[in-house]
Amino acid sequence: MSGYLEGVLVLLAINVVYAYAAFLPIAAGQLNLGVAGFAAVGGYASAYLSTTLALSPLIAIPLGGVAAGLVGLGVAVPVLRTRGIYLALATFALGEIVRASILNLEVVGGAAGYPVTAFIRLPTIAMFALGVTVLVWLLFATRFGIAITAVHDDERVADLMGLDVRAFQVAAFTLGSVIAGIGGGLYAHHFSYIEAQYFSISLSISIVLYVLFGGTQSVIGPLLGAAVFTLLPELLRGSAQWRYVLFAAILIVVMVIRPQGLITGAQIRRLLGLRSSASQKERAA
Amino acid sequence: MSATDPILTLDNVSKHFGGLAVVENLSFAVRRGACTGLIGPNGAGKTTVFNLITGVYPIDTGRIVLDGVDIAKIPSRRRIHHGVARNFQNIRLMPHLSTLENVLVGQHCRNGGLFGVLQPVSLVPGNRWREEARAALEEAGLAAYERATVGSLPYGLQKRIELVRALMAKPRLLLLDEPAAGLNPAETDALRERITAICRDRGITLLVVEHDMHFVGALCADVIVLNFGRKIAEGTPEHVREDALVREAYLGADAMEPRYAS
Amino acid sequence: MLGSIYAMIGVALTLSIGVLKFLNFSIPGVFMIGGMSTWLFIRHGMPWPLAGLCALAVGASASLVVERFTWRWMRNAQEFVPLVSSMAFLILFENLAVAYWGSDLQSLPQLFGNADWRIGGLVISIPQLLGLALSIVLIWGLSLLLSRTRIGRGLRTIAEDSDTAILLGVDISRIVPIVFVIGGLFAALAGVLFALNYRQVHPFMGEALGLKGISAMVVGGMGNIWGAIAGGLIIGMAEALSIRYLGADFVDISVYGLLLFILMVRPTGLFGGASAGARA
Ligand SMILES: Nc1ncnc2c1ncn2[C@@H]1O[C@H](COP(=O)(O)OP(=O)(O)OP(=O)(O)O)[C@@H](O)[C@H]1O
Ligand SMILES: [Mg+2]
Repeated sequence: MSGYLEGVLVLLAINVVYAYAAFLPIAAGQLNLGVAGFAAVGGYASAYLSTTLALSPLIAIPLGGVAAGLVGLGVAVPVLRTRGIYLALATFALGEIVRASILNLEVVGGAAGYPVTAFIRLPTIAMFALGVTVLVWLLFATRFGIAITAVHDDERVADLMGLDVRAFQVAAFTLGSVIAGIGGGLYAHHFSYIEAQYFSISLSISIVLYVLFGGTQSVIGPLLGAAVFTLLPELLRGSAQWRYVLFAAILIVVMVIRPQGLITGAQIRRLLGLRSSASQKERAA
Repeated sequence: MSATDPILTLDNVSKHFGGLAVVENLSFAVRRGACTGLIGPNGAGKTTVFNLITGVYPIDTGRIVLDGVDIAKIPSRRRIHHGVARNFQNIRLMPHLSTLENVLVGQHCRNGGLFGVLQPVSLVPGNRWREEARAALEEAGLAAYERATVGSLPYGLQKRIELVRALMAKPRLLLLDEPAAGLNPAETDALRERITAICRDRGITLLVVEHDMHFVGALCADVIVLNFGRKIAEGTPEHVREDALVREAYLGADAMEPRYAS
Repeated sequence: MLGSIYAMIGVALTLSIGVLKFLNFSIPGVFMIGGMSTWLFIRHGMPWPLAGLCALAVGASASLVVERFTWRWMRNAQEFVPLVSSMAFLILFENLAVAYWGSDLQSLPQLFGNADWRIGGLVISIPQLLGLALSIVLIWGLSLLLSRTRIGRGLRTIAEDSDTAILLGVDISRIVPIVFVIGGLFAALAGVLFALNYRQVHPFMGEALGLKGISAMVVGGMGNIWGAIAGGLIIGMAEALSIRYLGADFVDISVYGLLLFILMVRPTGLFGGASAGARA
């Protein structure tokens, strides 16, 4: 495999992981603008573990995810008391605090960045991305996935149906943080070097944009969004800035034409059950 | 237990929104196994009574006793575990879920532990809960819409799905808020027969809010009449119909007269 | 002291939240446009007052473009959609700037000679003082506009409930762009003042500085114009204090820590929110 192709696929795999990290809370109705912060926690924690304790990245990266999850759980309880715009802003603040704190954390290099000795290649990264994808897909085939959507659609009624709304929100947020942490760990161990500036609000925003672009109502959405935005700019080449310009412009236009994202839950059900939905339409008409 | 012991008792319940008293010193009892109607002009507070029973709003004063338990002290989420389920006057299904998934949500109170939550209900074809939900849809004549996203279904179907969802909780007490609103006479009759059969077969007690007096008269043995948040009459449908205060409330409110089949 | 800069960005944000319930993430981008355009026009030989005015026009136009593609279409879409689109605009503006002028720090010439004013040990920069005075006057003008004029009444009706506003005959599609123009002008003016005072601009100044306007807005109470001024000054002060006592590296931690703290303990802000009907 050429180095170029490997590079693109690595980016794709990492972006897919990030997209699912943002997707879980969004599916429960919470906009997390601090995904980059959790990715930073996971990235730095796993890099520290593999560098100083000589742990294998295969162990260090999941542990980094756990660390990010613990931070997520710790802040979810107070932060999720806020909602709507307030929650989005609180997570934004959180991400910036994490980034700024790392700049001051000398054990991991502070502003100079942190070199990572262990190195992982595409197969490992792809395996992690696949694992995360399968996990989220399985999760959405359980009552958990239904409950998350129910909480998103109507908190009040979900509560009256006996769903513990807060617990589901905290679970979705925490699980999203774990996945973000894994994404950060993958990044750190592939690029052999991390710096706080990478985990900025731009990263959080881009990740959220993948998900909204792909569609928030189904587990395919984040995959699609991450894929389109990793592969499309590669096809068009051009410099990095023009790719971002294109990325933003496409997104703005798509949101105007199709605010629900590229793919919706209803479409997937239609694809999966072509026949039954065809007969439905006749009856409903 | 005798048929006259109440399953639900409201005892001096009051609720104010700001300065507005919406329910005032309301007391009534619902007989176990019977169908009780809760009627009154628009804005009388009927939906609010349902909201107080299910815990959408906390009550200001009083007690709400379900089978000896004061459920007013229980958080709203736990009340369905005590056997109260309801529908909503303005349908409130989860618009992004399919019909089947909405019905699965109705089972949550019976299968909501960690193990239940992680069961792959929509993956394994023969899953017990999934089959139960499908059977319920089948019985309600809704099998064809199983996969449809409810947001896209017509109003009448959504109302029927909401009823199936409420029944999935296996309630002892079912609260129905205007189940016949928006239905034509034939549909109303079909609905009445279905409700009667369900409550009889499963031993469910029914408390129903409805403006259609013909429907209430045919379905309910007891009727409670509210006006401005107070109880102004109760008794059999015939008795209530003759009551002077009731007639005055409906005529005075001029918003609506009790609709007899015309 | 960046307080008045934050205050003006905060006003732009708070106006959008208060009237349209729209968290407009493109505002920091418009701030950057204001700053970068000032630099560009001065580099092309314009005198600074003219350059500033032109930069304001560019900022207001950019804000109108944002209106065309966000609020206008998505008023009734899912709740996050306009917010996310405005974020896309932030990315768009930043990277367009990088594509044309590179990501380096650009310097402006010294314009005012040495204009510091010394009282005892205190050094006050006169341009900064003028900036603060200007922003207070403008915000006072804005509050008059909101309370006295027909446009202001229309905006307040929209803030209460946009559907009712339509019923009452308020022409939403004519009045809403005004919110964006005013917001764009305030944000761009903050950029112009920043460029003139600090003489350094770069494509990511919106992200680095403009986003702190969000803290100013929240601290002052979302939707509250005067609160945004107070919030801006508080944030500026918090920065100055943390530089003095903790070191420059702790600035962002203090500013965003304050934001998080306020959101948790008193989400309506220190001065109560909702003067223009803001509710999330
Ligand atoms: N959350 C609330 N806040 C303030 N007032 C409320 C609230 N909910 C209900 N009300 C008021 O309480 C009164 C009773 O409302 P409710 O919905 O219970 O009437 P209803 O008997 O169900 O009427 P309808 O037949 O029209 O459904 C009304 O005046 C209504 O405006
Ligand atoms: Mg009602």
